[in-house]
Amino acid sequence: MLPSRTTLPVLPDEQMLYVLFDVSAGQSAKQVGRMPLNVCLVLDRSTSMQGARLEQTKTAAQRVIDSLTSDDTLGIITFSDKAEVVWPSQPLADPIKVKARVSAIQASGGTEILQGLNAGLAELDKRRQHYSINHLILLTDGQTYGDEEKCMTVAVEAKKHRVGISAMGIGEDWNDQLLDALASRSGGVSQYIPSTGEIQHFLRERLQGLGSVYGDNLRLLIKATPGTRVKSAFKLSPYIQRMELDGESVVLGALQIDAPISGMLELIVGSHTAGEHRLAQFELIGDIPAHQLEGVQLRQDLTFAFEPSADPNTPAPSNVLSALAKVTIFQMQEGAWQALEKGDVANATHRLETMATRLLDMGEHQLARAALLEAGRLARSGNLSPAGRKAIKYGTRSLLLPPTKDK
Amino acid sequence: MIECPSCGHQHRPGTLFCSECGVYLLTGGPLRTEPLPESDLPSSRADPWESGEAIAAAETQAEAVIVIVPPSGRQLTLPAEGEAVLGRLDATRGVFPNIDLTPEGGLEGGVSRRHARIHKQKAQYFIEDLGSANGTFLNGQRLTPYLPHPLHDADELQLGRVRIRVVVK
Repeated sequence: MLPSRTTLPVLPDEQMLYVLFDVSAGQSAKQVGRMPLNVCLVLDRSTSMQGARLEQTKTAAQRVIDSLTSDDTLGIITFSDKAEVVWPSQPLADPIKVKARVSAIQASGGTEILQGLNAGLAELDKRRQHYSINHLILLTDGQTYGDEEKCMTVAVEAKKHRVGISAMGIGEDWNDQLLDALASRSGGVSQYIPSTGEIQHFLRERLQGLGSVYGDNLRLLIKATPGTRVKSAFKLSPYIQRMELDGESVVLGALQIDAPISGMLELIVGSHTAGEHRLAQFELIGDIPAHQLEGVQLRQDLTFAFEPSADPNTPAPSNVLSALAKVTIFQMQEGAWQALEKGDVANATHRLETMATRLLDMGEHQLARAALLEAGRLARSGNLSPAGRKAIKYGTRSLLLPPTKDK
Repeated sequence: MIECPSCGHQHRPGTLFCSECGVYLLTGGPLRTEPLPESDLPSSRADPWESGEAIAAAETQAEAVIVIVPPSGRQLTLPAEGEAVLGRLDATRGVFPNIDLTPEGGLEGGVSRRHARIHKQKAQYFIEDLGSANGTFLNGQRLTPYLPHPLHDADELQLGRVRIRVVVK
């Protein structure tokens, strides 16, 4: 845990404090083998998927079948206006047969995500073992109408049953807010797949991630002492995302052996007298399926010395600053969408423009250009392009990722 | 409350970035490194060819470089392997040098954000100017940018106007 300052000044008013934290699996985790997976693919086969999208999705699903072992359980669902079980959830004994079923999937009908989710969760539930990694992977390219709220309830319910949902949106026309929320509520990930050629890559990456899960259902409880409160909490890996506070706890999701979870907390600290004060106690709760452990707890105190002479403008450690600089851009982007939702086009345009300036400062030229382009479009037409909005949203949340190598 | 120097938004003390305009509040935005007048800086130049022979000449194993910045007396030990960038932190632009000279008057002293680099090749440490606005000086001689020069014990470095003592162990 790394705070932005080590000593805090005694002030009459509230002050801000940032805490960067890491959760990693530790050395002993390296010896743990891959856990059996209980996975259900929920594939959109609505009319809009016709052609390359569906073909690529089918190929990607077949690659998934190749990458699983006979210890794993796989179910496959397709949905349009209603859901069909393509392959009932069972241990993967006859991959060729499953692949043949996948090949036969045809596109038709509308998009009702709820239907797919319900059927997928039912399949997962059949084969759910206490200590396995249960995960639903949703692939869709469209908007679902009217059942968004029910989808959210289902995701929260899934979380209670230790099932994570990862949601992948293909193209530009899907509901990013819904897919992001489904993933973050259930501890999964959401993914923007701009071109059909990348479906395979992202699906493979997700399967690999699931295969290296060490800790599952991780939650962080932030027990703040009176006078201290959490302004906001962000998860920084695998991408920047806002963590909604549910009472005192935030969902961290699954911890992979090879990838620590990092996060940033913005705390508002009330006035304290000189001396040592505990501002909060952090409690990390999670399961370690490989060791058949449930509800493992780790506690850590956040204690600070308050000194009258401490300088409130002490520079923060550089990794706190570099993470925070990007979280700030992410928040500016959130602010732009919020302004737009309220119908304040001028404000949203202004926010996108300022954001572009900061991105240019950071050397993120491509993203800056996308933001400027959308700001211009917004000023003239009052609307954003769905592609531009997604490029900005998923670009800013990936700012902390190491730059990807050119293929 | 503190005020954002760029947009005027009010923030609680301790806030690091303005939520409205994204500016780093402790410096009030990206501050330019101003060129210093010529008369403030030494005029002699280091021999650009000095670097080549040094690798062969270095026999004793240099263990570590300690950099001492006199204004504050701050001592910094460089990692035995690897390298360190000296410069001036600019959070808005995402520049985080290993050795930040802001506390020693880096801005007024004409230190660039990425000013110079110390690195090790075989047993020898080198100093390299990274095309800084006001130059890097080794024992009073200006270095040719992007050309590494060997660094010895008791050398004096000057980045812009900020002087640094070097101890090689």
